[in-house]
Amino acid sequence: MEFLDLLMLGFGEALNPTNLAFCLLGALLGTLIGVLPGIGPTATIAVLLPITFYLPPLAGIIMLSGIYYGAQYGGSTTAILVNLPGEASSVVTAIDGYKMAQNGKAGSALAVAALGSFFAGTVATFGIAIAGPTLSSFALSFGPAEYVALMLFGLLAATVLARGSVLKAIGMILFGLALGMVGIDAASGEERLTFSAIELFDGIDFVVIAIGVFGFTEIIENLENVEARGVLVRKLSRLWPTREDFRKAWPAVLRGTGVGTFLGILPGGGATLAAFCAYSLEKKVAKDPREFGNGAVQGVAGPEAANNAGAQSSFIPLLTLGIPSNNMMAMMLSAFIIHGITPGPTVLQTQPQIFWGLVASMWVGNLMLVVINLPLIGVWVKLLTVPYRLLYPAILLFCCVGVYSINNRIFDVVLAAGFGLLGYLFRKAKCEPGPLLLGFVLGPLLETNIRRALVISQGSPSVFVERPISLVLLIATAAMLVLMVLPSFRKTREEAFQEEEA
Amino acid sequence: MAGPRKAGGTGDRPDLLTAALFVGLGAVGLWAGRDLTMGTAAAMGPGYLPRIVCWLLILVGLTVGGMGLFRAREDITIPNLRPLAVILLSVVGFAFTAEYFGFVAASVWLLLIGSLADRESRWREVILLTAGLTAFGALVFIVGLGVQLPIWPF
Repeated sequence: MEFLDLLMLGFGEALNPTNLAFCLLGALLGTLIGVLPGIGPTATIAVLLPITFYLPPLAGIIMLSGIYYGAQYGGSTTAILVNLPGEASSVVTAIDGYKMAQNGKAGSALAVAALGSFFAGTVATFGIAIAGPTLSSFALSFGPAEYVALMLFGLLAATVLARGSVLKAIGMILFGLALGMVGIDAASGEERLTFSAIELFDGIDFVVIAIGVFGFTEIIENLENVEARGVLVRKLSRLWPTREDFRKAWPAVLRGTGVGTFLGILPGGGATLAAFCAYSLEKKVAKDPREFGNGAVQGVAGPEAANNAGAQSSFIPLLTLGIPSNNMMAMMLSAFIIHGITPGPTVLQTQPQIFWGLVASMWVGNLMLVVINLPLIGVWVKLLTVPYRLLYPAILLFCCVGVYSINNRIFDVVLAAGFGLLGYLFRKAKCEPGPLLLGFVLGPLLETNIRRALVISQGSPSVFVERPISLVLLIATAAMLVLMVLPSFRKTREEAFQEEEA
Repeated sequence: MAGPRKAGGTGDRPDLLTAALFVGLGAVGLWAGRDLTMGTAAAMGPGYLPRIVCWLLILVGLTVGGMGLFRAREDITIPNLRPLAVILLSVVGFAFTAEYFGFVAASVWLLLIGSLADRESRWREVILLTAGLTAFGALVFIVGLGVQLPIWPF
């Protein structure tokens, strides 16, 4: 039973006091920022990235992932209680969850959300534990051509499955790729695209871009859209769901878990997409779809299970193939790289304690989150009354010190401010900044592999279609492009993301 | 806050802005990499892929812009320059103050100026917050985590 041994190794790592403490810290922080609207997990992780450099590798990564899945729990609390989704992934939860709260079933909705999330988190954790070793042993046979095809597939799929214009997303990826090329070219040692600035010879740091386009731009945007935040919290009813609610909720939790786990693995998937798909699925299979929007417990259970499962299974491509599937995972990738670990199939073999420790900590973290969220719900709701004018100066200071601390120089701070301005322009142009980060982290990897593949084939591009795995991936990529041109597919895609606007 | 209003005529303004950004950034990239050797596919020089990527970026920009011209008119949400200018100014100011006058001065600058971005800020709160966060930052980041930045100007 090698599998069990490895899992025990993981739990041994996850349960040591340091890691346990950082897991709790991550879960608490995640819940906190999930509850607070205006601060998302992406910005938080960007701010904390430089700080993890001072921690042991596993502890830092455990904390950052705790923030990511913790935010899914926190986001649903405010969605249900005050109709303010703290995170994009809990937007659909607000539709039925808030109605349930208005009908006096707030406690029931919160409990279903937390227990459903916990169940989904458990299943997804086991999913990672099982899929990880299988996928990575498969990936060990990958050559440069396969990696190029896989990355092209991943990048393109990420644009199709994310919301917003596909063409703009491709443009953002290209810009990200170009940014990734700044610095000294690894093959020739020549500096390029640096405008002769010595500070740029080592390339642009990931944290600079992330804090610029997520940290600063988000603060500016939030300050621009001043809206009256009338927070009205209803009195909580009993926390335990009725038997009737249980009976209705558990099949939805099962379906949500399935949908979430699957969609999380796909490039561009993750928590938000999973939640939307689970909601539409629940609406389709329900006997009486009219219940939805009027406080259907399935409308809370399905999406909540799905967003948590999706948040966790999106770690699979990163941990096994080394390919991040969304901007959160791009952050995680750079958290690994800060410690000199390149995630991928080899890490599983050479440093099994990292992979299994992380997997085990996810389960531990989920357990903590149920405890943090259910009994302490009153505390979190109080936090909602903290006005943004008291929050953003703190975020601003953390961003500035964080950027400065990467290389201890002010150049990076000014550069990050520049990216803040650029990020602001991109928001005005309705371009999502997520694909930019994906392109940026994958750029150097993509370039190295393209060069390697073409050196081996002596410049002939046929190498990409002669190898079967690479061919299949390229055909899939081409098929996706064709699908995007078809009007009927475009219509379905638009509809899938429409609930978000509502 | 005025949302994107639909007026008569054509031209999707966010799309046109996207086109300008993409084409502009692509052109800057091409210009910055003008001296790089191209090489061949089998032995790529440092300029091979940057050039391809920049040209693709320009191409995507032109396509987005071309299609945007014929879309129904949509306006860009009216920018509110106060938060943008104040936040950027406070951050850049932080950088230079930190270099010459140390963390405390920089943090005070950042938080006092940064607070101007929100009209709702109240002076009492701002002063308390600035004092608290500056002390917290100095203790946690510089004393605790060892970020290389002097605390005082001397």
